[in-house]
Amino acid sequence: MSEQTYEPKIVAFLCKWCSSAGSDLAGVSRIQYPANATPIQVPCSGSVSPMYILSALKKGADGVLVSGCHIGDCHYLEGNYLARRKLHLVKELLQFVGIEENRFRMSWVSAAEGAKFAEVVKEFVDDLRPMGPQEKLKAKRA
Amino acid sequence: MINVQDIRDTARDLLAKGEVRAVIGWRAGSRGMAAEPCVVTKPEEADSLVWDPTCYHNLALQLVNDRKDLVHSKKTATAPIGIVAKGCDARAIVVLLQEHYFKREDVYIIGVSCENSGVLDERKVKAQVGGFAPSAAAFDGDNFSVKTAKGDKKLAGREVMADRCLECRTPFPKENNTAFGDDKTGREFDAQFAALARFEANDEAARWEFWQRQFDRCIRCFACRSVCPMCFCDECVVDSIEMKIAPETTAEEKANRIRWIERSAVRSENATYHMTRALHLAGRCVDCGECERVCPVNIPLRLLNTKMEREAREAFGFDPGASIGGPSLVASFRDDDPGEFIR
Ligand code: SF4
Ligand code: SF4
Ligand code: SF4
Repeated sequence: MSEQTYEPKIVAFLCKWCSSAGSDLAGVSRIQYPANATPIQVPCSGSVSPMYILSALKKGADGVLVSGCHIGDCHYLEGNYLARRKLHLVKELLQFVGIEENRFRMSWVSAAEGAKFAEVVKEFVDDLRPMGPQEKLKAKRA
Repeated sequence: MINVQDIRDTARDLLAKGEVRAVIGWRAGSRGMAAEPCVVTKPEEADSLVWDPTCYHNLALQLVNDRKDLVHSKKTATAPIGIVAKGCDARAIVVLLQEHYFKREDVYIIGVSCENSGVLDERKVKAQVGGFAPSAAAFDGDNFSVKTAKGDKKLAGREVMADRCLECRTPFPKENNTAFGDDKTGREFDAQFAALARFEANDEAARWEFWQRQFDRCIRCFACRSVCPMCFCDECVVDSIEMKIAPETTAEEKANRIRWIERSAVRSENATYHMTRALHLAGRCVDCGECERVCPVNIPLRLLNTKMEREAREAFGFDPGASIGGPSLVASFRDDDPGEFIR
């Protein structure tokens, strides 16, 4: 794949109460943002198991995004606090074994923040593009 | 220094009075110098118990196995089970209690302090005695004495002690029903996380270069998982074998069942295994070092586990294996947990 045609693939785990609705809002508001993210709706950012992230990278994702409700706004009151702690560990571990920091990203995007969602995805794509495909954790035969 | 006879007398006494139904401890091994785990059920067997610097095994694993036996055979325990526990075994028991694996009154902990010592690293010992494994080892104050084919030899503790013991600050089993040996909590031979800090000085490319080599080498024998008292799940998520196959299960369903990790021991699967394991042990691993000791291909597993331990301590003020009452690391949070990494 040549440099020009490379488009990073992002797997985005989006909380259904906020970021998923935020991404819809970005869509219906006709905000232009790159189409690199494959959204996967989850009930809460706190429900995102580290295995989802590792699995996405193993299946060839170039970057993984987890997006949930702002602190204090969790539909289940504390899911995003738990996510923040758990995913801090994931982020640290990925960097520890030598995976680029920019392959994993987390954001808080409310249902009203369509523009912010578009911005998060755009920034992520901009950061991923120069890095090229993620080969380190990708399964050889997947 | 601990007189091993005190441990035996305590075990005999507890068994004779029926206060425990068995005592888990170490006995002389059948191969080389290493002691091996044993379960003593009769008072007259108590004299087979040993306490020496080859008591490597984390006996909390035997406690887990005992619990599983009880549950699977639908039996109820007649009395508590006794266990001889050094500092790291006791820390593992604390984590199991914290997770309600069994109740405090189900176990009788006979604590043994490692004092100013610890267990041996057989690889280091062999290097010191010219490649031949000694037939026996004993504590000798701050040092060790070993029996070799060419006579007895004294070995300096710092030279042959396991890395985890050099970094250990809690050689005394704080959680106990009775304990032997001096409480040397807080001792420090090597700075905590010394090896980790050395590794982290490498840049990203060098870190990956190192870990991809380790992930390539792992043969996925799962010895690290089998020996770990914290890896107690009946079905491990990495096995993904729990799918019930019924007559109406289609070939497609079988093919598409969730498999987080494939069985082949290749880099991507091994990497996922090790990272998943490290995350599942975050805040739970007590750095008993057993996983690293049993690995047949010397994968430096303590690096992964101590990385998570240091995060637990430094980012979240969490001390694994320190208290029974508190919540576990990933089931709790503080308002000021780090969050700057989130956009
Ligand atoms: S880690 Fe600590 S408690 Fe465990 S054997 Fe070594 S010195 Fe003893
Ligand atoms: S790390 Fe070592 S003990 Fe664990 S599965 Fe791999 S080869 Fe086996
Ligand atoms: S992960 Fe290794 S060092 Fe930690 S508790 Fe399990 S066996 Fe011990």
